[in-house]
Amino acid sequence: MALRRCRIHKLSPTLTGKKCVSSTQSAVRTYYSIHHPDPAPFPPIQAQILSTALKNVPRLGFSRDALLSGCRENGYLEASAQLFPRGVYDLIHYYLVTQRLALKEKVQFQQDAKLSLTQKVKTLTWARLQANVDDGIIEHWQDALGHMSLLENIPASLKELGNLSDEIWYLSGDTQVDFGWYTKRAQLAAVYAATETFMSTDRSKDYADTKEFLDRRLGDVRVVGGTVGGAMSYMGWIAGNGLGLARSWGMKV
Amino acid sequence: MASRLLLRPSRALAASSAGISPTRALSSCARRLQQSQSPEEDGRTTHFGFETVPEAEKEARVGKVFSSVASSYDTMNDLMSLGIHRLWKDQFVRSLNPGTRTSSPGNAWSILDIAGGTGDIAFRMLDHATNINGDLHSKVLVSDINPDMLAEGEKRSLQTPYANTGRLDFKVGNAEKLDFVESDSIDLYTVAFGIRNFTDKEAAIHEAFRVLKPGGVFACLEFSHVDSALFNMVYKRWSFGAIPLIGQVVAGDRDSYQYLVESIEKFPTQEEFTGMIEKAGFMVPGKGYENLTGGIASIHKGIKP
Repeated sequence: MALRRCRIHKLSPTLTGKKCVSSTQSAVRTYYSIHHPDPAPFPPIQAQILSTALKNVPRLGFSRDALLSGCRENGYLEASAQLFPRGVYDLIHYYLVTQRLALKEKVQFQQDAKLSLTQKVKTLTWARLQANVDDGIIEHWQDALGHMSLLENIPASLKELGNLSDEIWYLSGDTQVDFGWYTKRAQLAAVYAATETFMSTDRSKDYADTKEFLDRRLGDVRVVGGTVGGAMSYMGWIAGNGLGLARSWGMKV
Repeated sequence: MASRLLLRPSRALAASSAGISPTRALSSCARRLQQSQSPEEDGRTTHFGFETVPEAEKEARVGKVFSSVASSYDTMNDLMSLGIHRLWKDQFVRSLNPGTRTSSPGNAWSILDIAGGTGDIAFRMLDHATNINGDLHSKVLVSDINPDMLAEGEKRSLQTPYANTGRLDFKVGNAEKLDFVESDSIDLYTVAFGIRNFTDKEAAIHEAFRVLKPGGVFACLEFSHVDSALFNMVYKRWSFGAIPLIGQVVAGDRDSYQYLVESIEKFPTQEEFTGMIEKAGFMVPGKGYENLTGGIASIHKGIKP
C-alpha cells in the first residue's frame, strides 16, 4: 500500500513526505538512458581508421581512396579496408553518427535563455548543417547523398536521419509524449533532408539562401502541424461525441 | 528414407550398437559408422563426414577422397551446384577486391590461397587484380595438401596469362603447419571450400593469424547452414539424394560425394565459425559473415589487428 500512496504523492511534489520518498526509491527502480553513457558507436580500430579517412575527405572526396588513406596512415594495409563491408558508405555513416553525437557538445542553451522550442530546433538544425561546411565536406556532400540513396543504403540512411531528428527534438527540451511525438520527428526529418539537399547546391554567401529556406520550411511545419493538430483534435471531439450519442441510444460501447 | 536416417547420425549409431541391423540405410554411410565403433583408444578423434575417426587418419582419408575426384572436380562442382559455385567464387573474389591501384613491386599484395588446388580462386584473384585494379605485381601462392589437386591446378595455370610470370606459385603443404611461409608476410589469406576438410580447423586459423601481416585479411568461403527451414528441406533432399548419385554416375565414386555432403552437415554454423575466428584474435567486420544463396555457402572474414 505504501507504494501506491507514494505514486499518488508524486503527482503533487509539494506533498511528498521524506519517508515516502525513500520507500519509493527502494520499490521503484527507474532507468533513464541519459544517466548511462552510450556505448561507443564504432569499435576503436575502425573509429581510428575512419576518423583519419574523414580528414582526407575534403581532398579526396567520399571515395575508396579516402578510406584506403585512412588504413595506410594508421599503419594498416589496403587489404584492411575489408573491415568496412559497405565501403564508402561506412565512411559516410561514421560521419553522420559522429556529427549527430557531437551536436550536444556543440550547442548548449543557457538555462535562463528565453527561447521558444522552434527557435531551439532551428539553432540545432542549423548547427548540424553548418558542420558540413566547417568540416569542408560540403563540396562532396552531393556524392555522399548519392551513396545514401543507393538501394542497399536507404534503410540505414533513413534510420540515421530519424535519429538526428530525434536528437534535435530531445536537445531542444521537447517532452511531449502523445501522437505528436511521431509527427514532429517525421516533419523535422523531412525539413532537414530537404534543406541539406538545397544546401549542397547553394552558392550564396554564408549560405544565406539555405538559412531562409530552413526558416520557410520550419514555418510551413508550424502551419501544417497546427492544422494537422487542429484536425486531429476536431476528429477526436467528433469521435467522443459519436460515442456519447451511441451510448445515449443504449448501445453497449 | 536413407537421407532422413543420415540426418540423425546419433540414432543410427545407437541402432547399430544395440544390435539392430542397419540395413535400412542405402548408402555406405551406416556401414562405415559400424566400422568406426572402435576408434583407436589412445588418439584424439575428429569427424570424417558422419564418422568419428582418429585424427591421424582423417588427413589420409581426405587425401584419398580428393585424389579420386581431382580430374572430374570442376564438372562435378558444376553439376552439384547447378553452376552456382562459379557465382559464389566470383562474389568472394569481388568482395575481397584483391590488388592495389597504385601498383609497384614495393606495395604489391602477397596472397596465400590455401586448399586452392585447382587454382579456381587464384586465377580469379589475379584476373581481378590485373583487369580491375591494373595491378601487375601482386602474387598468389597456391598451397594444397593434395599433390594430385595441385598438379591439376598447375596444368590449368598453363592456359592462363600468369604461367611463368612469377605471379603464381604452387606448393604442397599442410594448412595447419605452414613452415614455408614466414610470419607477418601475407596480405590476404584465402581458403575456399577447404577448411571443412581440415583435421584441426582451429590450428589452421591460428596458423593463418601467424602468417598474416597486421591488418591482413583472413577470408574463407565455405558451405554453411541454410537459414530458412523450407529451403533447407529442399536443399537437404538435393544434397543427400542427388549429389552422391551424381557422383556415382559421373565420377564413378559415390563414397567421396557422400563424404562431401556429410562434412557440410558437420561444419560449424555461421555464428560458431565466426566465434572461432574471433577466438583466434581476429577482428570481424560487421556480423562477421555473408550468406550466399540463403546460407548454402557463406563468406567469413577476419582482420588481424
